[in-house]
Amino acid sequence: MWSSNRFPGLWLLPALLPVVLMTLYPIGHALWTSLHQVMILLPGEPFVGLKNYQRVVGSNYFQDALRNSLVFTLLAAPSVVVLGTLIALFLRRRFLGSEVVRSVVLLPWVLPGAISAVLWVWVFHPSFGILNGILHDLGLIDASIPWLTNPRTALLAVAVAHVWTQIPFAVILLMAALSAINTETLEAAAIDCRNPVKRFRYIVFPEIKAMIVVLLVYNALTAFTSYDLVYAMTGGGPGTATTLLSFQIWRESFSMYDFGAGSAVAFIVVIISACLITAITRALPSDLFASD
Amino acid sequence: MAGRLHPLATVAFAALILLFTGGPVLLSLYGSLVPDRVLLSPDKSIFTEGPNLETYRYVFTGQLPDSYKQESANRAMISDAARQVPGALVNSSINALAAMLLNLILGAPAAFVFARYVFPGKRISFMYLILSPLVPAVALVTPIYMMLEFLGLVGTQIGIILVHTAKALPFTVLILSVFFRKIPGEIFEAATLDHCSRFQTFWRIALPLALPSVGATGLFAFMLSYSEYMFAMILSGDAKTRPVSVVMAALARNTDVSWSLLNTGIFIAIVPTLVLVVLVWRFVVEGLIGGAVKG
Repeated sequence: MWSSNRFPGLWLLPALLPVVLMTLYPIGHALWTSLHQVMILLPGEPFVGLKNYQRVVGSNYFQDALRNSLVFTLLAAPSVVVLGTLIALFLRRRFLGSEVVRSVVLLPWVLPGAISAVLWVWVFHPSFGILNGILHDLGLIDASIPWLTNPRTALLAVAVAHVWTQIPFAVILLMAALSAINTETLEAAAIDCRNPVKRFRYIVFPEIKAMIVVLLVYNALTAFTSYDLVYAMTGGGPGTATTLLSFQIWRESFSMYDFGAGSAVAFIVVIISACLITAITRALPSDLFASD
Repeated sequence: MAGRLHPLATVAFAALILLFTGGPVLLSLYGSLVPDRVLLSPDKSIFTEGPNLETYRYVFTGQLPDSYKQESANRAMISDAARQVPGALVNSSINALAAMLLNLILGAPAAFVFARYVFPGKRISFMYLILSPLVPAVALVTPIYMMLEFLGLVGTQIGIILVHTAKALPFTVLILSVFFRKIPGEIFEAATLDHCSRFQTFWRIALPLALPSVGATGLFAFMLSYSEYMFAMILSGDAKTRPVSVVMAALARNTDVSWSLLNTGIFIAIVPTLVLVVLVWRFVVEGLIGGAVKG
């Protein structure tokens, strides 16, 4: 590791500038727009202070969307981490075909969101979906359940699909954390403690706790801001059952052409995300990106 | 951890994981190989009817599947959008390749400096870079759209390429810097003794040594661009510039479309990703697992 007294701008700016242009500028722009009345049909862009925020937060739509986003996040984020941990623990062992399973687990990660959505629409389809077929064959249901068009089950169904797309990333990071544990510690634990649940609780879990916290916050963030998968599966319906806060930005801006209100929702989402991002930086183990 | 598990339990767990992660993809392959009437009838299956490649033929040549002629099926079920899939595949590949090249050109020098140097502002610029992808894209869509419209890039592939490049850059820099850090320091010390400049060290030593990893990292940018939907949707114009994620989403929102045709589209669209996962992607991930945390 060499040191340099100057900021190596020539080397860094080609990578930093596009990223700044894609984050800082749009955030600033959203803040400015949210404080002004910006509508395509009306001339001028007068300053209106916090009026956009008041109007947006007071609307029924916003409250539905916020509640859906929170429920969606609370369903999805813990499920991703729990399932991811179980799969990562399992995939640590070698068995015949373990290589195949390790490859297939990555599959949901590399599929485009729009395609994952169609795959899951098919699983949940009321008349020829595989899920209804299985439940029917097992004798658990008599009539098929319209998973995606029933307001009670739609949010749950899209959460399952979302969890599916997020699991590979969690598995990879957890496997990385598990492989960093000292093998001697594990061997000693295997001799001293026969109970695998206790062994996980007292030996393994403390070692991967930091990663679990990071993943939990990260998944809360992705769930809270998820857009394409849910939109492609249900379009926010039935009614407002799966309308998330992220659709609301879209709806205000591009269907109502009220960019001020759309930006106000966008800025609220940015602020909530900023809190979660700060939580991630706190939770990151300090040596993860240490400079040797 | 290294505890024993009953062999049957191992098989059961493995089967469950495979079913959950791979099942939906297999279903779509199955759906693409049989006509709708086989899907809908409970007593027919691929085993009684045999595989049927007519929908694939339709997508590539435009020749209507026979099964739809005999059943006097609704014409709307055969959507022209499905015929856009091969062209969209080409568009997506061009976008993704361009984004990948730009990522490597812009990102590799930064990754090298982050991996080998200590300099003022290093921590904050690195943190900014790796945390920026966490800012939700959905909140930034409108300003970015307006910015690109001002530049006259809406409706062109260049606009999509630029946005995808910027979106993938943080990941490229992070992964590449992990790989550059794995090169033994002695090699670089030898280079300094031989009076190599910083650029020579980077160009003649670091880059060739890390070349396989650099190529693999590029695939990450490729992947990100290939599957991105939101920006691709608002920035793409007519059918000629539409990438595959947009075409597939449009096809999926069409409620009349034949399931077997839809699944054919899906399966053609994910072939590149399947190849990536099987051939290369896993080695990248395993390499990162070995390198990222143990350092």
